[in-house]
Amino acid sequence: MAALGASCGLVVLVRLCRGGRTVWGWRTRRGLGQDAGTADGGKAPRPSFADEAVQNLLYKMTGINLQKVFRPVKTELKPPKYKLMTEAQLQEATRKAIEEAKEKLTMPPVLKEREPINDVLSEDKFLEGTETTKYVFTDLTYSVPHRERFIVVREPNGVLRKATWEERDRMIQIFFPKEGRRVIPPVLFKDEHLGTVFQQDRHEDILNRCIAQFEPDSPDYIRVHHRTYDDIEKHGKYDLLRSTRHFGGMVWYLVNRKKTDGLLIDMINRDLLDDATSLITLYHMLHPECQSAKEAKEGNLQGVDLIKVFAKTESQREGYIKLALKAYEEAMATSTAS
Amino acid sequence: LLSAGSCLLKGYHGGHVVIRFALGGCTNRPFYRIVAAYSRRSRDGKYLEQLGCLDPLPNSHGEKVVGLNVERLRYWLGCGAQLSRPAEKLLGLAGFLPLHPMTVTGAERLRQQRQAKEAVEPAVDSPPEPGDESQAAA
Repeated sequence: MAALGASCGLVVLVRLCRGGRTVWGWRTRRGLGQDAGTADGGKAPRPSFADEAVQNLLYKMTGINLQKVFRPVKTELKPPKYKLMTEAQLQEATRKAIEEAKEKLTMPPVLKEREPINDVLSEDKFLEGTETTKYVFTDLTYSVPHRERFIVVREPNGVLRKATWEERDRMIQIFFPKEGRRVIPPVLFKDEHLGTVFQQDRHEDILNRCIAQFEPDSPDYIRVHHRTYDDIEKHGKYDLLRSTRHFGGMVWYLVNRKKTDGLLIDMINRDLLDDATSLITLYHMLHPECQSAKEAKEGNLQGVDLIKVFAKTESQREGYIKLALKAYEEAMATSTAS
Repeated sequence: LLSAGSCLLKGYHGGHVVIRFALGGCTNRPFYRIVAAYSRRSRDGKYLEQLGCLDPLPNSHGEKVVGLNVERLRYWLGCGAQLSRPAEKLLGLAGFLPLHPMTVTGAERLRQQRQAKEAVEPAVDSPPEPGDESQAAA
């Protein structure tokens, strides 16, 4: 069931399953953040994260490494099951595995940071001094979506105001607990402790935990994701996220900030030329006014030429890219020769 | 207080449905459930439906957590249920009902008491000032 705000006209790769992963419940309602994003995409030609073309490019670059996607997650120990299959059955099983992998690889949404709530419903100054603590009232109606739930706070000075986003998240987690989410966010997500996580190369784990804990438009979610992407880009550990659902978000972040050189070199070193060209196409879609975009459109360049033009005009590490390209071409020549 | 709505619950003679607090929890740790029950039932006994909860002790963020199932509350109020006074005051604080007049009166009385105390205390405060300074020094 792919339910969505029909006015946006977006093709969403999400299949809502009410069993375990109700993470994107907001998508079925009129997603507030989504409308804001597409409104921008409609007026100016700037593509947003959720556009079909962009999503296709990002999905191609993510790659599907079945071994990594279905690697053993720490569950209870069960002895392995062996099945005897014909070739046709094996192909069928691989096809089904690829479809399941596609579902596992749906990218989490990239939204703008949410605006703080400063709504005052009533001011009753004569109540000042009667209470010492504030009251937080939560509406427990089951059929109301969490975004539209009424959560109000009566302060000791008598002011009745809407609750802040942090208070909202906490109350909703208390009354409608979600798996993997804690009422008070773990200390792990603070900046000083993220460094330890990055040293142990556990970027994917912390991104999964971040998705479980925070809403996609909360400042904490955005901060943790940006810190992770920055660290990956600094150390060049792009392969940690390849074939996971975070790869698209990382590429989007890097392309928006024009830090694509390291990723490009990594792709060429691993002989992923198609991914490299899609990366540069995405770059041109997002920054159509840059020089390499204009040259590419004029010349209608493809493949290696595109990379060369991009390296010449836009990148900082031109030498490295040329070196990597030369190594790749030599490897291709020797492999075709032998 | 009979109204048109209470005609709907005529299967119960001599009592009425109330929305009130049922006390639960342990020693020195109260916890109230906001409950729709028949008026002549015991306070913590069998109820018709639980409509929410109130935790009177503040949590680590200094807030008292209250949950209210507004949809079911409206249903029971529509059926002609009555409210106990603390329930009315709580719903007034929440903004679901207008503020209870006793809340306002209570606030006024508290303010007058405090003012009366402050009027008395400055007269008491002036002699023990050297005493205070010696206590602060020690």
